[in-house]
Amino acid sequence: MRELELFYGPQHLGMVGNFSITLKVEGDRIIKADANPGYLHRGFEKLMEQRTWMQNFPLVCRINVVEPDHMELIYSMGVEKLAGIEVPERGKFIRSIFCEMARVGSHLFGLWAYANMLGFDTVANWAMYHRDLLLDLFEELTGARVYHIYLRPGGVRRDFPEGFTDKLIETLHKIGGKVPDYNTTFFENSLFKQRAEGIGIVTREEAIRMGAVGHTIKATGMKYDIRKIEPYDAYDQVDFDIPVRTDGDAYSRLLAIRDDMIESVHLIFKLIDKMPKNGAVYTKTPNPFKWNIPKGETYVRCESSRGELGLYMVSNGGNKPYRVHFNTPSYNHGLTVLEKALVGESVSDVGNIMISLYVVAPEIDR
Amino acid sequence: MTYAVSKKGNINMELLKQKLLSGFNGLDIQLRDDQRMFISTEKESILSLLSYLKNEGYEHLALISCNDWINQEKFELVYILSAYMADDNHYQEKEKRSIILKTNISRKVAKFMTITNIFNSAEPYERELHEMFGIIFEGHPRLTPLMLEREYEVPPFRKDFDSQNYVDNTFGKIPSIAERKEGTK
Repeated sequence: MRELELFYGPQHLGMVGNFSITLKVEGDRIIKADANPGYLHRGFEKLMEQRTWMQNFPLVCRINVVEPDHMELIYSMGVEKLAGIEVPERGKFIRSIFCEMARVGSHLFGLWAYANMLGFDTVANWAMYHRDLLLDLFEELTGARVYHIYLRPGGVRRDFPEGFTDKLIETLHKIGGKVPDYNTTFFENSLFKQRAEGIGIVTREEAIRMGAVGHTIKATGMKYDIRKIEPYDAYDQVDFDIPVRTDGDAYSRLLAIRDDMIESVHLIFKLIDKMPKNGAVYTKTPNPFKWNIPKGETYVRCESSRGELGLYMVSNGGNKPYRVHFNTPSYNHGLTVLEKALVGESVSDVGNIMISLYVVAPEIDR
Repeated sequence: MTYAVSKKGNINMELLKQKLLSGFNGLDIQLRDDQRMFISTEKESILSLLSYLKNEGYEHLALISCNDWINQEKFELVYILSAYMADDNHYQEKEKRSIILKTNISRKVAKFMTITNIFNSAEPYERELHEMFGIIFEGHPRLTPLMLEREYEVPPFRKDFDSQNYVDNTFGKIPSIAERKEGTK
């Protein structure tokens, strides 16, 4: 059969985000895939070298559109480590609750993308609605719906308003109450199972060889999660589990994501119970225009909803970072794992595999 | 923020440090109390060090980065390694650690060996550094453009690339709407 070159994206119904894949196909089978992430042209890391430590927050949250909060967290952690700042106890809990809210929102957004791409419009609309409920809470807390700029070096920008945790619990119950419906219409629906089972298999050996993190490695049975491995903020003070699956296909990855979302909801309840009732939520930092951070370098990491998120940061003693380099989970998943997982699969499953690997294109671009 | 450190972890790090110092020459090793090990070394021993650390269980290449120290006329390549879990269900001290391996190469002759034959996942990182810093990785299977749409005289992430100048030269020449209206009259 004749080999053809097929351009999949950036304008394609099955493609989410600014990303394209050049496929070499024979009939319906993919022989070779070549990922091309360069559609954003932002140069954030270069821009951040020209702005002061605090001015970088509006940039850093825009690296990942779907869940900006973990980006703020990792940048704050980097600055804290370089400058030697401590976070007060209540600040730590608020940060963890906030990041878990972001994780639930991000998973709901991922569920929307997956369901929408496969044509399950009802489920997609539910997921978007439930994410919107969380966005309302974010708006009340921070004044912004998507890019919150709430975390800062030394803690968070402000305390929870009166009655906020009650509203949060009520919203989470609302979302949790819909999980059985999600299960029957989507996760246990045979139409969906037939599309996702046995598709885009990444085995344990391949995952380790290609540097996979997050749900790609959790779907092979390893409980690899930075919240447990190297606990930060308040994660070492509560007990929670890391859900895993063992088959390594798109279906296992999606179930791992669903279970992670449910676990996150439980985790928020536990964090609210244990949170100190009052106290400071941030440590004072110097005037941002005159803030020089001592010379040094650091590597920090946290667990975003997509997997291990790292930051290598260098200061040369000035009021701006000398070098900022993010290690984002989508980078490996979108460039190395995706190219490998697509080989031998059908053209109709490209979007399916890409979303199950949880690739968000803006994270890849520098 | 406090990072919990257990004594046991530090002892193991000390053990690895001794092993590395006895096996390799010219290493400068710094241990930090947040389980980070910074190793500076000559560029000749990078490949053997990386394969040694991979065999020791540090098989997750988290990042390859580069610092442009323009005043000292050198690039500093940074390899960050960590470990996957040896046991699926139990967390050990080893996974907490990150090893940051650094070496200097000349800025004028920006060439280095590829490590794709040791770590498969190094491929996109080296392509990125090739594009952004103009470093040539010898033996790399595909050193093709990754993100940029055109070639630049000075690779954009080098410190001597002037963003303001670039913006003025590229976009400053486009006439504004008012100027274009003037032209049509």
